[in-house]
Amino acid sequence: MKIVYDGVSFSYPSKTALKNVSCEISPGSVALVVGHNGSGKSTFLKLMNGILKPTQGDVRLEDVNTRDKRVSELARYCALSFQNPDDQLFASTVMKELRFGSENIMGDGSLVDVVSEILHLENYLQVNPLSLNYALRRLVAIGGSMAMDTPVLALDEPTAGLSQREKAYLGSLISHAKGLRKTVVIVTHDLNFLLPFADEILMLSQGELRYSGGRDNLFNRKDARVLMAGCGVSYPIYARISSAVEAGKYCFDAKELVHELIKRKAGATRRTNGRHQLEGA
Amino acid sequence: MLISFMDFSLAYSEGSAPALKHIDLEINERESLVVSGLSGAGKSTLCLAAADSLASYPAAVTSGEIMRKVDSASNGGTAIVMQNFYAQITYLRSTVFEEVAFPCENKGLPRDEIIRRVEEALGRIGIGHLADRNPLELSGGEKQKVVLATALAMKPALLILDEPISQLDPESAAHLADVLAELKKEIALLIAENDPYLTLKVADRVVVLSEGEVIADGAFGRILEPGIEEHVELPAWTRCVSEAVKEKHPDMEDSTKRYELSYKSAIAALRGIR
Repeated sequence: MKIVYDGVSFSYPSKTALKNVSCEISPGSVALVVGHNGSGKSTFLKLMNGILKPTQGDVRLEDVNTRDKRVSELARYCALSFQNPDDQLFASTVMKELRFGSENIMGDGSLVDVVSEILHLENYLQVNPLSLNYALRRLVAIGGSMAMDTPVLALDEPTAGLSQREKAYLGSLISHAKGLRKTVVIVTHDLNFLLPFADEILMLSQGELRYSGGRDNLFNRKDARVLMAGCGVSYPIYARISSAVEAGKYCFDAKELVHELIKRKAGATRRTNGRHQLEGA
Repeated sequence: MLISFMDFSLAYSEGSAPALKHIDLEINERESLVVSGLSGAGKSTLCLAAADSLASYPAAVTSGEIMRKVDSASNGGTAIVMQNFYAQITYLRSTVFEEVAFPCENKGLPRDEIIRRVEEALGRIGIGHLADRNPLELSGGEKQKVVLATALAMKPALLILDEPISQLDPESAAHLADVLAELKKEIALLIAENDPYLTLKVADRVVVLSEGEVIADGAFGRILEPGIEEHVELPAWTRCVSEAVKEKHPDMEDSTKRYELSYKSAIAALRGIR
């Protein structure tokens, strides 16, 4: 499902959080929304499922304008997992929590089992989510949103409070959502973990959109570092290492980087051997 | 010694699996200790126990002892920023300045002293510009900074931080790491955190927990070994070197390099592959 922001502004009583934001997120893509604290990221996300309505401009999910629908109707299109999982969880068991959203939009709950398996929640299904540790509470909140099986999945800081084990589960969930052609929009500071999954990047600063477009296009821009620094976004560490070791391309995780280095070494060795053979002949 | 856990165990209720098992741990004055481990390992429970904040768990069953030289009620005691810091904002005050001043007021500090402390704390965390904003209207990351400033304003002898950078943008996280690196010259820090960059910058000691037990305790560079690696997040450059060693690349056969924490040395090792 394509998402369009058309000249969107939003103001809270004491602050304008978004200023004239226009962008398009392609159907089936994973888009990361990044920027400094208070740049408008969470506001951007809340406009997507109608919790907030634009002060100016329009947000459209395909041809549905969020102004024309109630939040309960928009829940069929976009499931949002909150920044603070404790704002979201309320059911008495993990199973009820995972099923709630799906049942209330007349879904068949067919993703509940898959989600609980991917997020390794099977052993907690009969447990009260509020008695779980913070990382598990976050996974339950994310799982409940994913289980709604909406075309758009919006996640606000999904890696906060997760250790590397749960981050890996989350990575599998994002890949699964991508496989189902869902459009996944993620507000995050954790570029180092999420960049390998990303197709598109949106960068906000002081409520203004400073970049929206492809991930690789961003990193191939000469001014990428400056642009990111201007938005309070650190240049991703694997991209920095890729440059430092002259990997030849931007890699976004350790495995990819090491494989690229080994591939280049093998290529260089083959070229040297070939030259020696030619010289020998 | 500021605080000492002696064979301390804790279960949140009778019969439930222990969250902490036989913890023997000392935190000394002006020592900074980072607690790492997978979620559910007991990091937050250790923080709550150190802060003497388990009163809200009346069903908790403990054994062993915690000896303290810091008293949470007295000036210069303990301050904690919890993992769910949202729960620490009172929302009774209409500005950030008043919110940060709240615990100082409760301590009965003189007005001038409160103003001085709040201004210093806001400045240190870099949120002086938010002083007149309503805490209700702040973003998640800004709220986390407000709670951090509130804890700093109390001038504790032991500052306990449970995942203090979870909602901070990278610039703010790096700034907080600098602030903590300075602060550890003055006070003791107990930080539950898996972020390796903060650990590198701040930790004198890293304690690794697994299923409620301490499985490693020492300098970051000394505790890393294959059994510990899965419980601790490595810096990206270390992870690359470790990956190359795992791939058994001939240029990386020296497995002692596997946990190279120095950025420069790791880059040099990786460049050797080309």
